[in-house]
Amino acid sequence: MKMNIEEMVSKIKTGELTSEALVQSYIEEILKTESTVNAFLTLTCDEALAKAKIIDEKIKAGESLGRLAGIPIAIKDNICTEGVNTTCASKMLEDFIPPYDATVIKKLLAEDAIIIGKTNMDEFAMGSSNENSAFKKTLNPRDTTRVPGGSSGGSAAAVAGKMAPVSLGSDTGGSIRQPAAFCGVVGLKPTYGLVSRFGLIAFGSSLDQIGPFSNSVEDSAYILNIISGTDELDSTSIRDLKEIDYTDSLKDGIKGMKIGVPEEFFGEGLDEEIKASVKNSLELLKELGAEVETFSLPIIKDGLAAYYIMSSAEASTNLARYDGIRYGYKTPNYTNLDELMENSRTEGFGTEVKRRIMMGTYALSSGYYDAYYNKADKFREKLRYDLKNTFKKYDLIVGPVSPILPFKIGEKNADPLAMYLADIYTINVNLAGNPAISIPSGTSKDGLPIGIQLMGDMLCEEKIFKAAYSLEQALALEL
Amino acid sequence: MKVSIDEVKYIAKLSKLKFSDEEAAKFASEFEGILDNFQYLNELDLEIKEDIDKVELKPIVRKDEVKTFECTDLFRNVKDMQETYIKVPKIIE
Repeated sequence: MKMNIEEMVSKIKTGELTSEALVQSYIEEILKTESTVNAFLTLTCDEALAKAKIIDEKIKAGESLGRLAGIPIAIKDNICTEGVNTTCASKMLEDFIPPYDATVIKKLLAEDAIIIGKTNMDEFAMGSSNENSAFKKTLNPRDTTRVPGGSSGGSAAAVAGKMAPVSLGSDTGGSIRQPAAFCGVVGLKPTYGLVSRFGLIAFGSSLDQIGPFSNSVEDSAYILNIISGTDELDSTSIRDLKEIDYTDSLKDGIKGMKIGVPEEFFGEGLDEEIKASVKNSLELLKELGAEVETFSLPIIKDGLAAYYIMSSAEASTNLARYDGIRYGYKTPNYTNLDELMENSRTEGFGTEVKRRIMMGTYALSSGYYDAYYNKADKFREKLRYDLKNTFKKYDLIVGPVSPILPFKIGEKNADPLAMYLADIYTINVNLAGNPAISIPSGTSKDGLPIGIQLMGDMLCEEKIFKAAYSLEQALALEL
Repeated sequence: MKVSIDEVKYIAKLSKLKFSDEEAAKFASEFEGILDNFQYLNELDLEIKEDIDKVELKPIVRKDEVKTFECTDLFRNVKDMQETYIKVPKIIE
């Protein structure tokens, strides 16, 4: 169905299309595709259809409805949904049913959106392939021998596989942008603090941010309108945010926009086909009237260590709450309190989660704190400073999303470090807090999707959307 | 950078996780690889030469208002309860 969200909503509101028919059409796609792709951990199709009927009746009765009236949406399984299992793809939370909705869910429901299911992910959002899920392996709908990326692989695959018109994911080090690139959809990581984290199960609290997956830049902007905003339930939410319509300036064009391209993004390790595709898009941006300039930003190639130290340290602290007592997995094998905690955690967490907890505890332990955590914090401050200066000169920084094409299932499982290296281009904006988008820039000779990343200064989502929209229109890809 | 099995076991104790000797040995060698790869962080020049304005970010705090939850909702995920208490193993002999 080639319609953007706003068109769907307007058709539903005028009665030209019913929500029931729309939801039914996505359920049919799910029935066709889900058994191979495995994008979902929980499907709520029956509830979704029932709600669609209620919405159609309300419209018939002349009630005025919200900006997502009757639109089905898929939600990553680390975002709390009241009464609906939220597992983080972990045995630890296999039977966890949140007693409340995350702020983003409240906002979507207030606009009459319909949740169609909860999507698969790497356990606790740790991973770049979705292979770390405790329950199933999501496959890339564009090539089912390959991974969809991660950690929000299920949300990316749901949109790419046409099983939902839009979905939400979370991005701690690239977990929205990299799967968006791998699956050939649009993925946005908003400015840190623009979208509330209340009800997002924490991984790295200073890095995590919720954002949308969609088929178009326009839909991405439309969803950001709805999910963004100050929230007193999230202590790191930005105060007094202005209400902005991100779709307003999409079509203004990019004449005179200054785009910086760090030469460090095109060094060793970047796939040749990705390089060619990104360069092709840079040429297009030039033709559209932007001033595109290559420059040097050495710090941008060095973020990996600081990212893994910082995110693991925060994870080790955040995941200390899983003790087998108040909620989550509880071992049957214990005789005392220590055993209850140790055995519940050892049996409930998967290998990668344990690796990160161990790495984070190590980095925070006395004797190593200065060498690792403090150093990583210093790196972060310098990165923020260098980026701030860069954005005095350029409106946007543009480069690749991932150094590699979607890889085969199992290909990178043996070596955790090789998997970490796949995040090299995406982690910088999480460390600094800046917004960034991944949009499709083309395909490889084998037809695998390639993404391009546009990064902006803090709260400059409008500029990112404007350039991304212009490029998307010029590329006119049929994916 | 050498990481010993004893060190892994000590970190595991702090993390409230258990590993067999075999798992601990595997962790030790993975850690060594990862930490060696992260050594470059110590060679970077991270000095910021000029004075920068440190923006004091004030955290948002919610209003101190009582919100009542139904006990059945709040304790929905607890495995072992007695009335409104969560049961744990005996901690004092």
